[in-house]
Amino acid sequence: MGPMDVAAPGRSRARTADEAHGPVVKRHNAVVRATHWLTALAMLVLVMSGLAIFNAAPYLDASDQNNPARRVLAIESDTSGATPVGTLTIFGHTIKTTGLLGYTDDGTGQPAERAFPGWITFPAEQDLAGARRWHFFFGWTLLIVGLIYFISGIVRKDLALIVLRPSDIPKMWPMQAYYLKLRKEPPPHGKYNPLQKAGYTGLLFVLVPFLILTGAALSPGIDAFAGPLTALLGGRQFARLWHFAAMLALIAFTFGHVGLVISTGFFNNMRSMLLGTYRPSKYEGPGP
Amino acid sequence: MRRGLFVASSLSAALAGCGRVTNALNENAGVKGVIDSAERLDHFAIGTRGMAKIYPDSEIDYQFPTNGLPTPTSEAPYARVLKDGFANYELPVGGLVDHPQTFSLRALQALTSIAETTRHDCVEGWSVIGKWAGVPMARILAMVGPKPNARYVMFYSFDRDEQGTPFYGSIDLHQAVHPQTQLALKLNGKPIDADHGGPVRLRIPTQLAYKSTKWVQRIELVSSFKGIYGGQGGYWEDNGYEWYAGI
Repeated sequence: MGPMDVAAPGRSRARTADEAHGPVVKRHNAVVRATHWLTALAMLVLVMSGLAIFNAAPYLDASDQNNPARRVLAIESDTSGATPVGTLTIFGHTIKTTGLLGYTDDGTGQPAERAFPGWITFPAEQDLAGARRWHFFFGWTLLIVGLIYFISGIVRKDLALIVLRPSDIPKMWPMQAYYLKLRKEPPPHGKYNPLQKAGYTGLLFVLVPFLILTGAALSPGIDAFAGPLTALLGGRQFARLWHFAAMLALIAFTFGHVGLVISTGFFNNMRSMLLGTYRPSKYEGPGP
Repeated sequence: MRRGLFVASSLSAALAGCGRVTNALNENAGVKGVIDSAERLDHFAIGTRGMAKIYPDSEIDYQFPTNGLPTPTSEAPYARVLKDGFANYELPVGGLVDHPQTFSLRALQALTSIAETTRHDCVEGWSVIGKWAGVPMARILAMVGPKPNARYVMFYSFDRDEQGTPFYGSIDLHQAVHPQTQLALKLNGKPIDADHGGPVRLRIPTQLAYKSTKWVQRIELVSSFKGIYGGQGGYWEDNGYEWYAGI
């Protein structure tokens, strides 16, 4: 990184502001970096194997009874005509999705009656038994890696830096205004800006625990000793809808996260999560 | 246009490559050995604890679907018991037990002491609530008396798949004596019909339904299932599914 970065034309203001100021500092310790990438891997395989498991019963009911009258989502195929058709029905509206959903690649390059295509499932070929095993292995991985992250963050006292505080809330709109280029400078903040804190607090304390709990609620063995949890989610069958919805929220988060990593100084951000070092902007202080 | 086509074809090639990688990982014995180890953690952490939820009878779904292998009407031993409405059905319970016994259908009916409305969870992701009545497995085991070295209860079915491979399943003694594990004789107040596994099927509501062997022909207590058929403890287990199906 040198003066070139600042002078390069076409750079966004956010990028230069974040990259160009201050000396290089240590940002993420080795535990944070290792758990970040292990979590990313686990989530990738969990989403892909989850879609493979979903393919075995590609519909979701807002009901604890498999009630088709309360079906909110169904991926189907119709092979009765001359050309097979794949469809997605969501809240009663059906759209043709041949090739993408319903009638898609079966994981070996052949078209087949299959909800999610082979390239997005893990494994690509239809193998419910295998997909379940990958899902549970990486479910445990996510749980264990997450616990290591939390314990390390508490012991090293740096987890608190990422948690949204009441004093951050008035700073959230000014930060958003800065991202939208409606404001020249972001509000002064600590290691994480107020929007990062809101996003990561939601991810770490709400979304990921919800993903794990809604997944656990699908298990008849867990239901037998954790009935109140399952009841809270509308029952063991209903929880399948929550688990799927939480997965969509995770994908939305990931798009936002990766988009911001790219747009706020890709190399600086990647360096911080790979090597641990980072050049903070002049608006970032060491505190919370 | 040509450029769009190039982008589309390279994208689909990349996606096909991604599929080849996931399939190769899934088929690699070494990788699978590591991945499959999670089952031990599932069994240890979840196990067979507590009681499956009992539903009110008002939630019974009378459209109970059938799934799995087809009804074994063409299997000679099953056809024989089916012919006279299961009246001559007999269930031998043997293996590592002190008192091997054969139970007539009438004897099993007389032992029936449990009727519970529970959820039947298919591994595919759907479920259905039904009222199952039958004999607690614990009662059968108390009568035959497992030997100290008995560890698993094997359930052999009348059924075979299209290739002629016999259907069977197993649970351990801890799961077998769970008060909700039963040899079911009735579904929703009626004798279980041929399509739903009649006259006698296993019913284990704390695990997925593929453990609930239909059309039980014979029960055997063993110390290990390693030498039986595929060696994984059941037909579905021999086809890659977990032996511990509480998750």
